[in-house]
Amino acid sequence: MTPVTFLLNGRRLTAQSDSTILQVARDNDVDIPTLCEHKPLTPHAACRICLVQEQSEGRLLAACATTVAQDMDISTDSDAVLRHRRMTVRLMLASHSASCMVCGKGNRCELRRIASDLGIGTAGLYRMRQPALTLDDNPFISRDPSKCILCGKCIRICQEVVVEEALGYLERGFSTRLATFTDGPLHQSECTFCGACVSACPTGALTEAHPAYGGTGDRTVTTTCPYCGSGCTVDVQVKGDTVVRAVPSDPERPLCVRGSYGLDFIHSPDRLHRPHVRRNGKLQPVGWPEALSFLAGELQQTLDKWGPEAVGVLGSPRGTNEDNYLLQRFARSVLGTNNIDNGSRLYGAPVRQGLMATLGVPETNPDPDHLARSEVILVVGADLPNSAPQLAYAVRRAVKLHGARLILLDPARSRLDRFASLRLRPYFGTDGVLLKSLAEVICREELFDREFITRRTEGFEQFRQAVSDLAPEQANQVTGVPARHITQAARQFAGARQAAVIFGRGITQQPMPSEAVKALANLSMLAAAVWIPGGGIYAVELEANGRGACQMGMLPDMLPGYDRLDHRGIRRGFEEVWGGPIPAERGMAALQMIQAAAEGQLKALYVVGENPFRSYPDPQLVREALDNLQLLVVHDLFFSETASCASVLLPAASFAEKDGTFSSADGRLNRLSRIMEPPGQSLSDWSIILRLAEEMQHPLPFSSLKDIQAEIAEILPELEPLPPPEGSRGERPTAVGSRWPSTRGIARFCIPRLPEVATPSEGYPFTLVVRGSPWGQGTGQRTGRSRQLRTFCSRGVVEVPHRAAGRLHLSEGETVKVVSEHGSLAVQVKLSYSLPDSVVALMAHRKEAPPAALFAFEADPDTGTPLMKTCHVRLERVRHHER
Amino acid sequence: MRDNSELITDIYRSIVREVLSDYAGHQWPLIPVLQKTQQRIGYIPPQCVRLISQALGPSPVEIQGVISFYEQLRDTPRGRTVIRTCRGTACHVRGGPEVMIRLRDILQISEGETTADLAYSLESVACVGACGLAPNVLVDDEVHGRMTPQKIEQLLQDREEEEPW
Repeated sequence: MTPVTFLLNGRRLTAQSDSTILQVARDNDVDIPTLCEHKPLTPHAACRICLVQEQSEGRLLAACATTVAQDMDISTDSDAVLRHRRMTVRLMLASHSASCMVCGKGNRCELRRIASDLGIGTAGLYRMRQPALTLDDNPFISRDPSKCILCGKCIRICQEVVVEEALGYLERGFSTRLATFTDGPLHQSECTFCGACVSACPTGALTEAHPAYGGTGDRTVTTTCPYCGSGCTVDVQVKGDTVVRAVPSDPERPLCVRGSYGLDFIHSPDRLHRPHVRRNGKLQPVGWPEALSFLAGELQQTLDKWGPEAVGVLGSPRGTNEDNYLLQRFARSVLGTNNIDNGSRLYGAPVRQGLMATLGVPETNPDPDHLARSEVILVVGADLPNSAPQLAYAVRRAVKLHGARLILLDPARSRLDRFASLRLRPYFGTDGVLLKSLAEVICREELFDREFITRRTEGFEQFRQAVSDLAPEQANQVTGVPARHITQAARQFAGARQAAVIFGRGITQQPMPSEAVKALANLSMLAAAVWIPGGGIYAVELEANGRGACQMGMLPDMLPGYDRLDHRGIRRGFEEVWGGPIPAERGMAALQMIQAAAEGQLKALYVVGENPFRSYPDPQLVREALDNLQLLVVHDLFFSETASCASVLLPAASFAEKDGTFSSADGRLNRLSRIMEPPGQSLSDWSIILRLAEEMQHPLPFSSLKDIQAEIAEILPELEPLPPPEGSRGERPTAVGSRWPSTRGIARFCIPRLPEVATPSEGYPFTLVVRGSPWGQGTGQRTGRSRQLRTFCSRGVVEVPHRAAGRLHLSEGETVKVVSEHGSLAVQVKLSYSLPDSVVALMAHRKEAPPAALFAFEADPDTGTPLMKTCHVRLERVRHHER
Repeated sequence: MRDNSELITDIYRSIVREVLSDYAGHQWPLIPVLQKTQQRIGYIPPQCVRLISQALGPSPVEIQGVISFYEQLRDTPRGRTVIRTCRGTACHVRGGPEVMIRLRDILQISEGETTADLAYSLESVACVGACGLAPNVLVDDEVHGRMTPQKIEQLLQDREEEEPW
């Protein structure tokens, strides 16, 4: 790479010899039209629109694929260039459907724009026969090959960026076209409808199948997707007050099906519009002043009568940082309780505990893009394509484009299997044994990094001693994984210079989850991969702001910034800022609060955007607990099951109707921007809380969102700087919680305890595993109200292995009763050809088949996390008269 | 039925494994692997594409693109006997099209298709270099000159008697 000097339209310029003519032109504000160029993709030179002329030799070159050279004399608009460009466009139009007037792409069509820029109205050539419309039966994407110009953007984005590998070219010459494998419809292919191809298509060949509005929106707002913790920035196009489409703001980070097609839940007719108060056993709509004064009175009464310990507050990992910060401050300084928790308790607490014990930090936030540097990626108990699509894209890119080796450790199959070089499938609940055995091999064969271990860790010798009793041969007997695979995985992992670990719910919802997290941290330390780019530990974050809710102190035992509640000095610091006392006793975690409510100790529960009735185990017990409360306050978007038990129900604004910030799993602060006004009388959670505090004669010193953000910035300077207002992705802050022994500190080897392996009890021959799917998220409150997601995945199913189904005489579509020791539910059967014979799988997010019903109200004693990933069940045929 | 298809998949798997082992360490093995697989099976079934994709890296849909690009590679089965009529100028003017029409009637398939029993595939060829004998028909690699609809019918009948399937 050397600097070269050349002429561009007569201007003398200097650039590096590896830059393309197109890059140089753009850097110097010279416009070269293109149709097949797309930022993250390798140059393709397919469309021939970006032709430029090298004047001295007269050659025409594709600017996107030609690098600059010394003494070139480039013209971007010579007569020859324009003549050829026009002819190319005319040829494209000659084989293009002549339906511009009714084409949904409208004035977003790049071909039409370029044609009109060049003054081309009609092709003026014989029209070529056009291929017929491809028949696709899905509510997301429609294909019209007659409008395809074969730029290959969709294919390349599918193959190189999201790596779903659904689309490719078929045939050759005039008959070349876009096709799936075996040329079937999209829904029978690898396609997950992430929408990356649609957002890249320059013409109307790939479009939304059922757009809310066919044309172009009248404004675009950049905000953050409210679904998972990936924190994708999304450009939402709005027409009037309707979201018409969502496209990725950053072409390098496409969305998933939920982000692209699932944001319309905000327009659901189920949205709450007015506050409700329960009178004579019925929820009745009232105005805000009445609702708030009633609520303030009731809360005050409960506090006076039962004390602050009888009040609990549940925040939401879907709420903004500001909502959560204010809510915990309200709970601590107005209500005077530490009974504070948030929904990420269901999967996130073990991560915090496991990492604190080993690395000394409550969270890690490695950048998914760094996986491109990883030599080995170990994915443990995580169904990435469903739970963290952006991580799945990064992993598959690492494997396909950068040659990383993927080791999967999971009893269940996933759509990553195809990319794995090694798949370890332990029996359910034996992951801990397998992880310990991996450590044994690394220690016995001395594959660890001695220097790193000496300088940066402690407790190694005891650890080495403790794992020495589990050779792969023994582990094989417990886990069923061949010993040579264990040895191979250990060698590959420890041998890599950059080895990353990714784990998810398969780890955090199993018995003794924090122990498994420690085991993973140990492995990472053995490979000296903890703190290097391309290494590190990635914990899947299921909710958009699970990270932020915890950072903001929505926890019973930690203050904002994970600061220690039990430390007097730290508490005093907060008391000074907040101007009042903070209770010192640690409060109850989420499930403890429900338990306490059932037992009558908790009298009031303040729930913001959570639905314990659906997301916690044993709905019957939750129901009893909620009914047992004197006061249940609920902020919600919809009339959820929990909302229907409320004494006071307050309508909340959705992500689209408020400003604020989310903290994503990779440690970025992302901005939410208000797209429209909240429906009816709905308000943002933070403004409801502010009004309520005022009503309780205890006003909090904020009058706007900015004030709250200013106080957060004062308390958590590591979250600064806030992202720019019209933001691309947020800045990366230093890790929150770095006041704890940080990355400069010493990591500690922990000797993980192993949970007992649950043996199936008599009469429950199947292991049921709760699975995510691309079409839903969480308990499906939002995805179940998205028109397109709901149409595509209209019912809950239990997947049953085909052989087992044959034995039980179950057929596809038949209703079956799934019975566990703790409950049962009726759900339709779907035959599976990939599940092991004794495993059935249930989708997590369907209303009519809530997995929670099958689980005992039981939490891991260390972390308070309910164990809701697997249980033992039997299947019973439903007889006709029972249907 | 299911078990039958599992059996077929197993056979394909062992074939692909053998073919791949011949090209281990080869820098660009995809095309030769596809050719060899086709040689063994007669065409490249989708199951094999998946197996080859697993071993070599390119996705199934990309490999399918390669197969459909090259005339010599096929992803649908071909008949045990391939009949090709010549569509060169000399054959055309001397009655080639009538021979093709008769063949379509007899076999009940169009050009480019294969009979359901996989006995015959019907194709055409640009020129076989025997214009003096026009119209020509190729049965597998054998050239039959001065063809007529009657003669081609007779020829097929004779073959049926020789090799009853």
